[in-house]
Amino acid sequence: MDEEYDAIVLGTGLKECILSGMLSVSGKKVLHIDRNQYYGGDCASITPLEELFKRFGAPSPDETYGRGRDWNVDLIPKFLMANGLLVKLLIHTGVTRYLEFKSVEGSYVYKGGKISKVPVDQKEALASDLMGMFEKRRFRNFLMFVQDVREDDPRTWKDLDPNTTTTQQLYNKFGIDKNTQDFTGHALALYRDDEYLNDPAVQTVRRIKLYSDSLARYGKSPYLYPMYGLGELPQGFARLSAIYGGTYMLDKPVDEIVIENGRAVGIRSGNEVARCKQVYCDPSYVVDRIKKTGRVIRCICLMDHPIPNTRDALSTQIIIPQKQVNRRSDIYVSQVSYTHQVAAKGWFIAMVSTTVETDEPEAEIKPGLDLLGPVKQKFVIVSDYFEPTDNGLESQIFISTSYDATTHFETTCLDVLDIFKRGTGEDFDFSKVKLELGEEEQ
Amino acid sequence: MANRGGPGGRPNGTAQQQQGGGGGGRICQFKLVLLGESAVGKSSLVLRFVKGQFHEYQESTIGAAFLTQTLCLEDTTVKFEIWDTAGQERYHSLAPMYYRGAQAAIVVYDVTNQDTFGRAKTWVKELQRHASPNIVIALAGNKADLSNKRNVELDEAKAYAEENGLLFMETSAKTAVNVNEIFQEIGESIVGLFVLVVGIQICRSEQSRLNYVSKIVYSLWYRK
Repeated sequence: MDEEYDAIVLGTGLKECILSGMLSVSGKKVLHIDRNQYYGGDCASITPLEELFKRFGAPSPDETYGRGRDWNVDLIPKFLMANGLLVKLLIHTGVTRYLEFKSVEGSYVYKGGKISKVPVDQKEALASDLMGMFEKRRFRNFLMFVQDVREDDPRTWKDLDPNTTTTQQLYNKFGIDKNTQDFTGHALALYRDDEYLNDPAVQTVRRIKLYSDSLARYGKSPYLYPMYGLGELPQGFARLSAIYGGTYMLDKPVDEIVIENGRAVGIRSGNEVARCKQVYCDPSYVVDRIKKTGRVIRCICLMDHPIPNTRDALSTQIIIPQKQVNRRSDIYVSQVSYTHQVAAKGWFIAMVSTTVETDEPEAEIKPGLDLLGPVKQKFVIVSDYFEPTDNGLESQIFISTSYDATTHFETTCLDVLDIFKRGTGEDFDFSKVKLELGEEEQ
Repeated sequence: MANRGGPGGRPNGTAQQQQGGGGGGRICQFKLVLLGESAVGKSSLVLRFVKGQFHEYQESTIGAAFLTQTLCLEDTTVKFEIWDTAGQERYHSLAPMYYRGAQAAIVVYDVTNQDTFGRAKTWVKELQRHASPNIVIALAGNKADLSNKRNVELDEAKAYAEENGLLFMETSAKTAVNVNEIFQEIGESIVGLFVLVVGIQICRSEQSRLNYVSKIVYSLWYRK
């Protein structure tokens, strides 16, 4: 390791692995280190099951849980939007070839104490009990507007410039009631709270389009989930980085980032120093350069049945809009199962998560837990949400933010693309991914 | 539903059976992973097998870590998807993803370097721990063209391979000796297993299953 690198990346969470891959592909000489002996950091899928129980200080699982090796339990629940940024990154970098995905079977939204399926086609929409007959007609007009509107073409605006009007004004124009607003903003546009109502409507329009474009790809829901768990994602991007020359060291303690004249010039591990021009890392490697801006609670629930009232779906998402339970931020429930190779046969893993608002985070997720039915084993994680205190341009230390409570990877990718741009001064050029990579077909 | 780039297909998948057009017979697709210390010639073996090339000063693996090659065995076409370590073995940082779904592995050592043979044994153990239980493992003693500088005896490696149920050959990526042969043998071995498993699944009654298995075992035995 006593060499000079263009960039040293610390931590092998998803963000760091994507960054490492992009840097290597761009021709940079990269050293990628993790203090743990496994890939993924907070994004790892824990295996075997015994390891998960040990992590939370619980006694070893009994034999009803099947073989421990059949389990790969995520610590952070998320799905991929089928037409979202992460899928684009995966396809353009060729990392898809290392992974296999399943479409998530159903998406549900909580209303008035029970859950209803988010309609995926006209038939389901007509049958849905989410709104009344007249409201459905108004909502349909709204959706048609969203589909047809072009941000830069005033002829499609219908006297309403989406760049200057707010989402609230847009709702009002179509006469959409509060319940439907809740559904649209939280279950389709996937906002976590209600602040978006006063932001330009164009953002909401984009988000609804992302939802419907993602839905259009596979039909059942807009979400995808990788076989063997989310921990496969960082591994895939790490492999991309390695293929383009990145050097990998796991199980390597990092004692210090070496600073000269206010700039990072290397890292020290024991007596060894690796020199570099830049450092990219997750917040845990630079505790003095980050600030806590919130907390997220995530609860892992192991169950021997699917979530009730989801038509026995093997994978599901349920969104509990904040207003329904008198909160400021939504509660998310996600469930995957043995069919994704993340649990032993017959087992299901549900996760309930939200942004923490009170001193009793566990009480906050109760509405989500109440939907699950009997739970065999529950593990609660309350983690701080960190942001870097500066943009890294001066120190050349580029720090990612912690993973937020959103159910998908859009904010994750935006952070990565932003860091890449700050670090290299340019947007990532996908054309640098050589197509001969693999030379699959002769 | 599976979403992947490129026509290359399904690295994690189990054996696929398709009815091939024209050529007849079936096509089986397998993931094969390479393991072994740095600089024992893993990439060179693949390069020789896939492209028929050899470079004396092959650089450390960059860029091409996912090659495919097909072999024809009687009525079966075997398509190998070959995964190279991309250097991630150097600091013992291979990801579990690498082993995932692999139906075959070649563990490579350098016949002129005893350490690499010792490490090969560790990789075999690693495979037995991480990979699927019915993976076919081949041990390749590479750089056999340098046998005058040999530090690992042929008999020693052979005995180790037999004890652990591995296929074994000494190979030379430089002179091409035994390179196609080792892939061929792996192919036959997997196809044999594959036919066996599919056959057992097809047989309805317990009795026909027994008959079938004994027939296969009998034919395998006498071919050896």
